[in-house]
Amino acid sequence: MPRTSIIPFGPQHPAFLEPLHLKLQLEEERVVGVEPSLGYNHRGMEYAMEKDWKRNFFLSERVCGICSFHHSTTYSQAMEAMTGTQAPERARLIRIIMLEVQRVTSHTLALGHMAEAMGYENLFMQFFREREEFMRVANEVSGNRVHYCMNWLGGVRRDIAPELAKSIEQRMDATQGRLEELAKVVRKDSTWLKRTKGVGVLSKRQAETWAVVGPVARASGLSYDVRQSGNAAYAMDGTKFKPVWREEGDTWARCMVRMDETLQSVALIRQGLGLLREGPIESKFKGNPTGEGFSRDEAPRGELMYWVKANGTSSLDRVKVRTPAFMNIPPLGEMLMNEQFANVPVIVVSVDPCICCTDR
Amino acid sequence: MGMMRRSIINLFSRPYTSKYPKVKAQLPEGNRGRVEWNMEDCIFCMLCQKNCPTVAIATDKAGGTQSITRNRCLACSRCVEVCPKKCIRMVPEYSEPVLLPEVHVYVIGMKKWDYKVERIDTKTRWR
Repeated sequence: MPRTSIIPFGPQHPAFLEPLHLKLQLEEERVVGVEPSLGYNHRGMEYAMEKDWKRNFFLSERVCGICSFHHSTTYSQAMEAMTGTQAPERARLIRIIMLEVQRVTSHTLALGHMAEAMGYENLFMQFFREREEFMRVANEVSGNRVHYCMNWLGGVRRDIAPELAKSIEQRMDATQGRLEELAKVVRKDSTWLKRTKGVGVLSKRQAETWAVVGPVARASGLSYDVRQSGNAAYAMDGTKFKPVWREEGDTWARCMVRMDETLQSVALIRQGLGLLREGPIESKFKGNPTGEGFSRDEAPRGELMYWVKANGTSSLDRVKVRTPAFMNIPPLGEMLMNEQFANVPVIVVSVDPCICCTDR
Repeated sequence: MGMMRRSIINLFSRPYTSKYPKVKAQLPEGNRGRVEWNMEDCIFCMLCQKNCPTVAIATDKAGGTQSITRNRCLACSRCVEVCPKKCIRMVPEYSEPVLLPEVHVYVIGMKKWDYKVERIDTKTRWR
């Protein structure tokens, strides 16, 4: 009978940005068992959000630094659904533009982190250079680089001036070429392919069983994207949208989905800027809300849900957040099974686990 | 092949990064930085204090002061929005890094946008 050894992987590990602990069972170099454990980063966000519904527009952003605007937008949409306030069209389009800007920053961070995990520091730098361009766009529009602080019940608090829209459009044209060059590297580079192709496969059936969301699901052949339908339907605002999906289900496919989505986001930003028409950016709401509100949105890592229950005072009864990484971490057991130990960081990073979101 | 081409281009081009402390960061016009009061117009309505999500602002009506704990402010510009007299503004530059938490105090009778700095000892609990 072969002997198995148990190796703790994380919570402090050079390959991880955030504290995730994996208890790996190894048979020589082969992984035969995985036990992920979470909770190193718990801050009690849901409870803190019950205190004041106005503060939450800023507090919900602090759940996660990489998809902060997605959190506050989903919370705002839930509050709008509860109060029956309709955000003006211009506000919705500005939200879409900023959501896509943040998606690019998140995906380029994930891809750069992936390159770093496999020891490809040069490519990591390339991704972060392109990311900087989008961070600047976010800074110019919102005033902040990470936490935009732009949402409010019934709209947004910052407008995009016509000159700024023009300059963003020009810069998008310049960045598109550079991003396409990087997409070529992800698609064809031999170093990248050797580490990712056929590694950490999650089949379509497994993906359905584990109910994975976001790029992980779309890489396994499920063409599921919240942007197609639901509360945050992009088609409603006039943008043309088709989800990116692949059938391979391996690490390479997950990277490719992220890369193609980055290019798609640039196209969506351009479309959104083209559709901007003069008009108000906020519809007013007075008093304290009552009732229940629900909203979902496609965050960079997948479907994000907020459910809010209010009682007519300044505090809330309950805020429930379901984050995408919470659904994507458990199937790591399936992906890592029978893989080489050296592939573990690459596979884990390819899922893009956001522990800040998961533990909140 | 793509990476080789990129590497050769990078070898003969200038660095993308800037030498930050020597060269100042290029902040855009609308950057959210520090909050400032114009004490000539302030009517002490306390709206900025009530709306501050991080309780960084303290209004003292009797003493005639507005004080803001710099390290608590998250630059959401909510106080600028709610001010009825529009006597609060946000300037693009950040305040310099400090060792002890810093409080900017605006006293009535001061010149426009003028303030004095007080430091909080970390041993005493913040408000």
